[in-house]
Amino acid sequence: MTILQTRGVAKNYRIGNREIKVLDEISLEVARGEFLVVKGESGSGKSTLLTILSGLDRPDQGRVFIEDLDITDLNEDALAPLRNTTFGFVFQSFHLVPSLTALENVMFPAELRGDPDARGKAEALLGRTGLAARMSNFPHQLSGGEKQRCAICRALINDPRIIFADEPTGNLDSINGAAVLQLLLELQRERGTTLILVTHSPEIAQSADRVVTLKDGRVVSDQTNG
Amino acid sequence: MVNLRFIGRQMSGAKSQCSVFVLCVALSMITLVSLGSFRQSVESSLLRDARSLHAADIIIHAHAEPPAPLQSAVADLERGGEIKSARFWEFYSVVQKEGGEDSLLSNLKVVEPGYPFYGKVLLASGRPFREQLTPGSLIVDQALLDRLRIGVGDKLRVGQATLTVRDVLLQEPDRPVNFFALGPRVFVSAADREALGLTGRGSRVDHVTLIKVKAPKDLRKTAAVLRAAAGDSRVRVETYRNAGSRVKRFFDNLLFFLNLSGIFTLLLSGFGIQSTLFALLKEQERTIAVMKALGARSRFIIGHFLGVTLILGFIGTMIGLAGSLALQSFLPTLFSGLIPAQVTLKVSPFAVAQGMLIGLLVVLLFTALPLYRLKEVKPRAIFGKEESGSIWNRATWIIAGAGALFFLSMVLIRLRDLKTGLYFMLALTLLILAAYLLARLTLRMLRGREPESLPLRQALKGLFRPHNASLSIIVTLSAALAVIFSITLVEKNLDASFIDSFPPGAPNVFFIDIQPGQKEEFARMLGPGAGHYPIVRGTVSAVNGTPIDPEQERRSRGDNLGREFNLTYRDRLLSDERLISGASLFRGDSPETQVSVLDTVVKMRKMKVGDTITFRIQGVPVTARISSVRTRTSGGLTPYFYFVFPQAVLSDAPHTVFSAARIEKERISDLQNRIVARFPNVSVIDLTETVTVFGRIMARLSTIVRFFTSFSIAAGVLIVVSSIFATRHARIREAVFFTMLGAKKRFVFVVFAAENLLLGLASGIIALFISQVGSLIICRRALDMSYHPYLGESLLLVLATTLLVMLVGLAISIPILRQKPVVFLREQTDE
Repeated sequence: MTILQTRGVAKNYRIGNREIKVLDEISLEVARGEFLVVKGESGSGKSTLLTILSGLDRPDQGRVFIEDLDITDLNEDALAPLRNTTFGFVFQSFHLVPSLTALENVMFPAELRGDPDARGKAEALLGRTGLAARMSNFPHQLSGGEKQRCAICRALINDPRIIFADEPTGNLDSINGAAVLQLLLELQRERGTTLILVTHSPEIAQSADRVVTLKDGRVVSDQTNG
Repeated sequence: MVNLRFIGRQMSGAKSQCSVFVLCVALSMITLVSLGSFRQSVESSLLRDARSLHAADIIIHAHAEPPAPLQSAVADLERGGEIKSARFWEFYSVVQKEGGEDSLLSNLKVVEPGYPFYGKVLLASGRPFREQLTPGSLIVDQALLDRLRIGVGDKLRVGQATLTVRDVLLQEPDRPVNFFALGPRVFVSAADREALGLTGRGSRVDHVTLIKVKAPKDLRKTAAVLRAAAGDSRVRVETYRNAGSRVKRFFDNLLFFLNLSGIFTLLLSGFGIQSTLFALLKEQERTIAVMKALGARSRFIIGHFLGVTLILGFIGTMIGLAGSLALQSFLPTLFSGLIPAQVTLKVSPFAVAQGMLIGLLVVLLFTALPLYRLKEVKPRAIFGKEESGSIWNRATWIIAGAGALFFLSMVLIRLRDLKTGLYFMLALTLLILAAYLLARLTLRMLRGREPESLPLRQALKGLFRPHNASLSIIVTLSAALAVIFSITLVEKNLDASFIDSFPPGAPNVFFIDIQPGQKEEFARMLGPGAGHYPIVRGTVSAVNGTPIDPEQERRSRGDNLGREFNLTYRDRLLSDERLISGASLFRGDSPETQVSVLDTVVKMRKMKVGDTITFRIQGVPVTARISSVRTRTSGGLTPYFYFVFPQAVLSDAPHTVFSAARIEKERISDLQNRIVARFPNVSVIDLTETVTVFGRIMARLSTIVRFFTSFSIAAGVLIVVSSIFATRHARIREAVFFTMLGAKKRFVFVVFAAENLLLGLASGIIALFISQVGSLIICRRALDMSYHPYLGESLLLVLATTLLVMLVGLAISIPILRQKPVVFLREQTDE
């Protein structure tokens, strides 16, 4: 069953007098529970595609659907519930709130939703990811791998249907990166969450269900891994 | 090599911070130039021509007829052609319309021909003063004509004489402002003095002899001769150079307070400059690290950023000057009623030059530390792995010490009084220390809090955001607000003590210069309940055998022992007095002459029961031993006396009687008319009218002081703005995170609003606490009056403060709220 669909999505950026086409008429369908990797070289448009798929940005042309809901023209307040309960985000730069502890960072989306068991869920997730002893530490007191694990817990606390991950191992060494990726995949499989991950690493692409390759803003390849 | 492009890029890349820096400099310039120009305007218009201000070269001032040797010396010098002299007598008396219907307390000046030797008395008719003030005529203030509803040509009863109003007074050279007076001015010719019957022995009259010396070089010599002739009487012989003009003293005192607030504003503006520069340089830290990695030396970097600060300082200076010019058009309205219309307030070139120099020094002083710390930025900051060391190292202490010395010098130069300057610096230090400690305590109490509300919880966390200047914002704002709150509280208490509330039954009309022989009839006229107090004029010449130096005493800012006192005698305490030292008012078993003193006297000079005071009463030295110290149990305008003697000591001395009574307001005018008709020598002072005038002047003065103090609030607000700008990246990041995680705009708005509300509330409450303690001390100790906390009004002040900080913070935060998540994320990815 399709959980996410794009039709003819295009995006341009204007820099001075130049108009740069970043995405060129991309149409995609992503199935529920699928692990999709969007691959491409630097400047291929993969991060831009991710921001459009997740509603963080609007396309100049085309439509984006989340479970038959057209989110293309929704305003920020209308997108807020989707971001809180339907989506989860994991970024290369972690993006944890510096003034909140690891536990508070993870709790936050659940508290926004009014979940009375936010603390319990956050503690369980942090325990599951090996951060039980680091719950009351602030982000600047955590290592890169710990920060990313914390960000993954935060992305999962509201049981989102889709996780968007933009180069989640980009700022980590190979050992930490592999550990974080493994954790992400384990949790994704446990919960049946759809995972859309952007990377330029072929190794990561190998573990995906499907790989979409972008070049110059276009899909040049869309392969299902056996 | 100066890289101007680098300097330009730094400024254009940090427009918000640069704007705040410029505004802080502009604010300090406006304060310095406005106050400096005001001083210059007043001094050049009113005070420069000191001869006109005193109408003479030498001024002899006495409270009775000058001693015979002095009068002879004057006559001798005049006969020898060395001087010219002219006397005048100044006193209060009630003048009455012919026919006896209306009367008015007026300030009379009976002048001999020759007055004034310098300056001109301007009249409405334009005619010369000497021509118009002939025997039988009066020259009066327009206010008198308006109050009594008479015109030129009408007659007035003054004392025992009836005189004709001849002209209207426009300007008097030795009294350029008249708000000190309890009544309008009336000029009378000296030829009519005897006929008035008001300047006899015992009357409360200022006897002034003006002297014009023929040869200016003989000024000092002549003054010395006259001083020697005056002997040790309390007659003051002064030249125009050293005479204390009341007008000058008033403006000196006003400028004193304005300068205090100006220095405070300068200090806060300096902190604003420093915090803005710290924030600006913090943003540039990576750039600086990269430059150092490429080989740039600290000297190069510091030099270029110094260039940035000097250019910004120059822009701020120009804006400040423009602001000062604009302010000049508003100042006449602000000072109206206090300065004569002919005084032109304008920006003074000297004040501009002085302001620019001081402004430059302040900029250099407050930017020294942020610029110096650029030395400590290492190339590894590129990787964001720098931990800032402790700010309190040797350089910080040296720069802080230089700053303290600079401000102390500023205080001493502008206030011209070492003791007061040191007290001011101490008070300022205590204020900032108190604000700092209370702010730290408040933040510590807030740190662990976990309120139920999520936006409030996030707002609390935001206060402790890395690099957030919550502590410095609260300290600066609460210190500035404490000053404004204190002015408001002290003013309200002064109003309550002297203006608004007359305790029921307290006397509201005073009668002075009643002769002993008139007392009984006068008492019958007033009826029962009136108080009658004998008054003997005297001075203090020594305490415990140590002579008093009247000149030295008169230089002190408050009341002093150098003046003449109203001594009285009685054998019991008044109903609003109690003893604080001594078993009884007087000791029954002592053969010595005794005196009871009010605690106010003990504050002027340390003394205690058993000490001796030597008085000079009607020229006779009287030494008395202090038998008790009294204090008043009520504030306000009820009669009280600093020195009380036993009845037996002074009852035979020449004296007048002072009476005080409670009269219904509607009866006062009629009573005054009857009294002046029957006892023309008696002056009637309607206190309710006096305190209304006093209240109006007080209100005007406190408006002026508050206006200039509000600049310090502006400085505090600029620091809030600067801090928000400094943390805007962190705020944008938080706003984006919240949005990404599903928070609506309203949530983010409420979090920022709550954070600013907490800052404003904390600042307001701390300011309130400090101001309540400070105002209590000022009212009880310095002003010797009761204190009321006015909690309702105080809470309104706190509320207003909180709203102000919240609104300013939100206004600056709105662009942050509008930031789209994707723009931020893209910038992060690009990095």
